[in-house]
Amino acid sequence: MTSAAPGAPGRPGGIRTSKLDELRVVHQALPRHDQAEKIAGTTRYAGDLAFAHMLHARLVRSPVPSARVTRRDSTAAAAVPGVVCVLFGEDVPHNTIWVDVPGQTVEVAALKASMEVLATDRVRFHGEPVALVVAESEEALTAACELVEVEYEELPGVFDPDEALADGAPAVHERGNLIGEWRIDRGDADAAFAAADVIVEGSYRTQFVDHAYLEPEAGVGWMDDEGVLNLRVATQVVEHYRDVARILGVPESRVRVIAPYVGGGFGGKEDMTVEPYLALAVLRTGRPVRMQWTRQESLLARPKRHPMRLRYRTAARRDGTILAHSIDITADSGAYAYLSALVLLYSSVHACGPYRVDNVRLRARCAYTNNPPTSAFRGFGGMQVVFGYEAQMDQVAARLGLSPAEIRKKNALARGDTLPVGQVIETEVLLKDCIDAVLDRAGAKPAPSGPRKAVGRGMAANIQSYGRLVWLNDSAAAWVGLQLDGSLTVRCGVPDIGGGQASSLAQIASEVLGVPMDRVTVHFGDSALTPLAGTTTATRQLLMSGNAVYEASVQLRDAVLGAVARETGQPAGGLAMRADGAGGTVIAGPGLRLTLPEAVLICRRRNVPAEALGTFFGPKGQPVARDLRADRVFPDFTFGAHLCDLEVDIDTGHVQVVRYIAAHDVGRAINPCRSPGRSAAPRCRGSGWRSWRRSWSRTGSTWPRGSSST
Amino acid sequence: MTHTATITLTVNGQRLTRTAGAHLTLLRWLRDLAGVTDPKYGCGEGVCGACAVLLDGEPVSACLVLAAQVDGAEVTTAAGLSGPGGIPGPLQEAFHACHAAQCGFCTPGMLVTAAALLADGRIRSRAEIRAGLHGNLCRCTGYGPIVDAVEAAQEARQARPDPRDHLGRAPAGHDAPRPRPAAGPERGR
Amino acid sequence: MFIRPFGYERAGSLADACEMLRERGEAAKVIAGGQSLLPMVNLGLVQPEVIIDISHAGRDDDGAAARGGGAVPGGAVPGGGRSGSDRAVAARSREIGGGDGYLTIGALVSHARLAGDPAVASAQPLLAAAAARIGNPRVRSRGTLGGSLAHSDPAAELPLAMVALGASYRVTDGRSARDVRAEEFHLSFLTSALAEDELVVSATVPALGPGWGWSFQEVARREGDFALAAVAVLVRMAGGIVAEARVAVGGAADRPLRLADVEAALAGASPGEIAGRAGPLRGLSPVSDISASAGHRAHLCAVLVRRALDEACRRSQEATA
Repeated sequence: MTSAAPGAPGRPGGIRTSKLDELRVVHQALPRHDQAEKIAGTTRYAGDLAFAHMLHARLVRSPVPSARVTRRDSTAAAAVPGVVCVLFGEDVPHNTIWVDVPGQTVEVAALKASMEVLATDRVRFHGEPVALVVAESEEALTAACELVEVEYEELPGVFDPDEALADGAPAVHERGNLIGEWRIDRGDADAAFAAADVIVEGSYRTQFVDHAYLEPEAGVGWMDDEGVLNLRVATQVVEHYRDVARILGVPESRVRVIAPYVGGGFGGKEDMTVEPYLALAVLRTGRPVRMQWTRQESLLARPKRHPMRLRYRTAARRDGTILAHSIDITADSGAYAYLSALVLLYSSVHACGPYRVDNVRLRARCAYTNNPPTSAFRGFGGMQVVFGYEAQMDQVAARLGLSPAEIRKKNALARGDTLPVGQVIETEVLLKDCIDAVLDRAGAKPAPSGPRKAVGRGMAANIQSYGRLVWLNDSAAAWVGLQLDGSLTVRCGVPDIGGGQASSLAQIASEVLGVPMDRVTVHFGDSALTPLAGTTTATRQLLMSGNAVYEASVQLRDAVLGAVARETGQPAGGLAMRADGAGGTVIAGPGLRLTLPEAVLICRRRNVPAEALGTFFGPKGQPVARDLRADRVFPDFTFGAHLCDLEVDIDTGHVQVVRYIAAHDVGRAINPCRSPGRSAAPRCRGSGWRSWRRSWSRTGSTWPRGSSST
Repeated sequence: MTHTATITLTVNGQRLTRTAGAHLTLLRWLRDLAGVTDPKYGCGEGVCGACAVLLDGEPVSACLVLAAQVDGAEVTTAAGLSGPGGIPGPLQEAFHACHAAQCGFCTPGMLVTAAALLADGRIRSRAEIRAGLHGNLCRCTGYGPIVDAVEAAQEARQARPDPRDHLGRAPAGHDAPRPRPAAGPERGR
Repeated sequence: MFIRPFGYERAGSLADACEMLRERGEAAKVIAGGQSLLPMVNLGLVQPEVIIDISHAGRDDDGAAARGGGAVPGGAVPGGGRSGSDRAVAARSREIGGGDGYLTIGALVSHARLAGDPAVASAQPLLAAAAARIGNPRVRSRGTLGGSLAHSDPAAELPLAMVALGASYRVTDGRSARDVRAEEFHLSFLTSALAEDELVVSATVPALGPGWGWSFQEVARREGDFALAAVAVLVRMAGGIVAEARVAVGGAADRPLRLADVEAALAGASPGEIAGRAGPLRGLSPVSDISASAGHRAHLCAVLVRRALDEACRRSQEATA
C-alpha cells in the first residue's frame, strides 16, 4: 500500500520511471483540465458560493499598533437591525490559534507559536481582530462594526527588529521579543578571514512584501446534516480543520475544510485567515455564513514577507575562491510569531547561496515588533538572503576583476559537496548550466535607447530547497478508482492554488493507467472526502501528492493486470494497459485485447478491488537544535540563474526592464507549458519587490492607502 | 431620493430585473443579486481589473459603477464571450491554447478588457496590447502568456475571418457549434 | 466593498442637480463617472447620505424611463416644467464643440472620448495627450472631464492641462452661470472654487495656434498610476527664439501651478539657452508621501520641464517649417 524513499540515492521521490522517452501524457504540453472553466468564467472560487438565507461576518480590528484593551461593549452594535451576534474573545471556546507546523505532522514544541483568535486585553498590531460581527446583510455589518465600542489605552510600541532586541525595548510579549535564533559554525571562520586576500562587507535590508494575490481571503461555512462544520475557503492547507476543531473544542472529525480552486496563494493562504471566524459564526448561529475580507484588510492584517537586515562579511582568495562568510540576520516577525522561526531556519540554511563555502559563522534572530505579523511567502526565507549573498559575490568579483559569471561558476556547488549546515548534495547540480543558458540567451548587453539613459546588466543565482523539513514526517495520500465504464476517479487532498496541482495528478494517473485525460476526474482539496495530501507549500505538492498518485496508479494497474492474467491464464508480465487511441483504454497481451470495462468486470468477479490508496512518505531526518548541524534538513535542493538588463533614465530614475532571462533546473516538467508561467511570475513579483512602494512606516500604523501601494 | 431601486440589465443577452439598495455597485448587483460571479472582487478601488465587465461595449470596473446609474444597460462578462451552449469564443480559445490562465482569478477581467481592446478590428502591436491591458493585474503568469493569447486571437481573426464578433456572438445563421478546445478531463466537485 | 447605504437621486438636468445639492447640503455627493468618488466611498473615506447622479443629465431620453423599460430609480426624474435653457445647458455638458479658435468640452465627456476625438486631437492635441495618460482603459471609459476638474487632485492630468492652456470653466448653480479661470478654480488638495451648489458645465480652451508646439510629460511609478510629477508646456518659436511659452507643473504643490517666472525667463531664448533659462524652478511646494519625497518630486518637475520644453520647441519649429 505504501512506499518510502528515506535517504534513497538519486533525486528523492522523483517520478520513478526509467522510461522517460516513452511518456505519452506526462511531460506533454496538454491544456490544463481546469483551463476550460477558468476561461469560461464558470470556476466557483471561495467567495463565489452563496446559500439562501446566508449570514455575513466581519471583523472589528484594532486601529492602533500597541495598546491595552480597557473596555469592550457590543450593546449598540447588537441593537442594529439585522445583527445576529457580536462575539468577543470570551465567546470563543478556546481563544487561541496555535501555529504549529501545519499539516499532518508531529508537534515541534520549540517552534510553537500562539495568538488569540479575538484579542481580549492587549492588541499588538494595527489590524488585530478584536470582535466578530455576524449579520443578515453586509449593510448591517457595516453599521454594526462602527458601533462596537472598544477602548484602547495606547502603549509604547517597537517597530524595528534590532530595536526590539535591544535592552529596554518595549516588550511586545511578556516572554521578551526574541522569537527564535539559529546558529551555524562550520570550519574556522577566523582563520579563513586572517588568511584572506580580500574581505568584503555589506549590509542589506529587505522590506515587507504582500502576496497580493488577486483573490482576497474569503469563504463560506455551514453546518451539514451530520453535525459537521463545513468550511469552503481559499486556503493552501485543508489540514487547518484540526486547528479549527481545537478552537471550537470539537472532535477533529466534526470539522471539514474544502479548498476550491484558489485565486493565488504564494504562502499568504498557508496560515489560517477566515477559517476560525467563519467557524465561530456558523457554530453560534447554526446558519450558513460568508466572510469576505476586503483588499484593505488583506493588506493591513494578513502576514507579510519578513523584512530582514542582512550583514555579510566575506573572505575570498585572489583567484575568487570564497573562503568564508560571517553572516548576521535579523528578521522582523511583527506582532505574532506564526511560522517565523521556520522561515528564519530556511534563511539560515540558504544564506551562503549555491556556493561551496567551508568556513561559515552565522547568527540569525527573529524578533517581535508591533508591525503586521510576517510568515510564509514563496521561497519561505530563501529569497531575502539571495540579496545578501549575491551582492557579496558581485562585490568580491568587482574587487578581483572577475566577471559575475566567472565568480559564480568558480564557487558553484557540485554533487557531493556539503552545505554549511552539514547536508551533502546528493543530486546533480545544474547551476553552471543555468548560468551558461542565461548568458547564451542574453547575448550582448543592449545599447541605451537615448542620450540620458544607461543600461545595466545584473545576474544572480540561487539555491532553493524543495519538500518539507525532513523531521516533519511529511506524507501524502491519494486514491484512484476505476468506474464500470472505464473512466477514472482520482481523490487527493491537494489544494489547487493555481499552479495546476490537480491537473498534474490527472496527467500522472492517465500516464500509468492508460485512461485518456478526458476520462480522468480529480476530486481534490477536501479534508473529509479526499485522502490528505498535506499543504500546498514548501514546493512539496507535486513531489508528495504526485508520487502518491503514482503509487496508487501503479497498484491499481498491477491489480487489474493481475486479475486479467488469472482470468485469461496469461502471464501478467506480458500484459499492458494503454490508451486505445479511440477514447478508451485496452488491456493488451499476446492474442488478447480487452476493454477496460471488461477488465473491471473481471476484477469484480474475482474480488479484486478496482481501486487503490497510495501513500508517499518524504525522506526522514532528525530535528535540528539552535546550533544547526544536520546530515539532512531538506529532501533536496534545486538551482537557477537569472539575468536582467535594465535601462535607467538617469534624470528621473525611472527603470525599465529591457530583458529578463531565467533558467531553472525543474527536472522533467509534468506539463512543460505550465512551467514558463510559473517561473515568469516570480520574476515579476521579484521586480515588484524591488520597485514598488514601501507600505509600512515606522509607526506600524500606516493604513495602506489602497491596493496600489504595495 | 430613493434607497431602493429596481434595475433591469441585459447581462450576457439575458434580461434580469432586481430590486435592491440603490447604493449597490454593479459588481455587487451582478454577484449578490444576479448570481453572475465571473466578475471578481479584487480591490474595490478600480485598480486590479478583476471586476472588469463591458458596459454597453465599454470596459469598466464594475466596482466603480452604481447599478442604479446604468439601469437598462447591456453588460457583458467573460461568460458572455462564449457562444451558444458555452462554446468558447475566439478570444477564450486563444487564452486556452496559450495557457493564459493559471489561478484564473484575473482571467474574466482580462478577457473582457482584451475583447474591448480588439473590438475595432485594428491590429495591435505587442506593446499596444500590453498598454491596453495596463490596469488588469495578474500575479501568476507574468503576463507573457496573456499577451501571447491576445496576439494569437487577433492573428487568428485575420487569418480566418470569423463570422462571430469580438464578443463571440454569431450573426443569424452562423451559430453552428464549434468544437471545444482540446479535451481535458472532467473536474470533480 | 462595505458601503454604508445611501440614497440615490437622478438629475435630469444640471439645474436639477444644483437644486438637489441646495436641498441636501453637505450630505450629498455628485456622481458622474464615479471614478474618483466611488473608490473613496468603497474605502469608507466618504460616507454620503445621498448621491446625485448627473450622468444622465441632458440625455435625449432623459434618464431611465426609455432605457430598457426598468422602473425609474427613485422615481424622481424631473420631467417637464424645466426651462429650455436647462436642457441647452445639460446638452452642452455632453458635447465637444469649437470654432473661432476655441474648443469647448462638456463636463460629461469621458476621458476616452476626449483622448480619441479627432476634433480635439487636431484643435488641441495637448488635451488629447493628457486624457490618454489617465489611469487605465476602464477609468477612461467612465471618468468625465467635469468630475476630474471638480475633484481637483493636484496630480491629475486634466487640471494640469487646463491650467497650462489657460482654460476657462463654465460653472452653474442652476440659476445663473459664471466663468472661472482654471488657475483660480483649483485651490488646493481636492478643493475647488465650486460653491456647494455649483457644477462644472464645460471647459473652454484656446485651440493650438499656428506655430505653437506642445508637450505633456509625466513620471509615474507604474503606467496608469497617479503621476509623481507631470508637466504641460506650450511654446511658440519665432525666428529661432522663444516668442511665447506656457509652463505648468502638476504634483509640485497642492494644485497645478503655472510657472509665470519661468515663462517670462524663456522669452527670447534660443533652443540652446532654454535649459539654462528655465533654471531652478521656484515656488514649488511638493509634499513627501509614500510614493516620493518632496525633493524627488521637485527634481522630477525640473527634469520634465526641460524635456517638455525641448519637445514643444521641436514641435513648434516643425509646425512653422
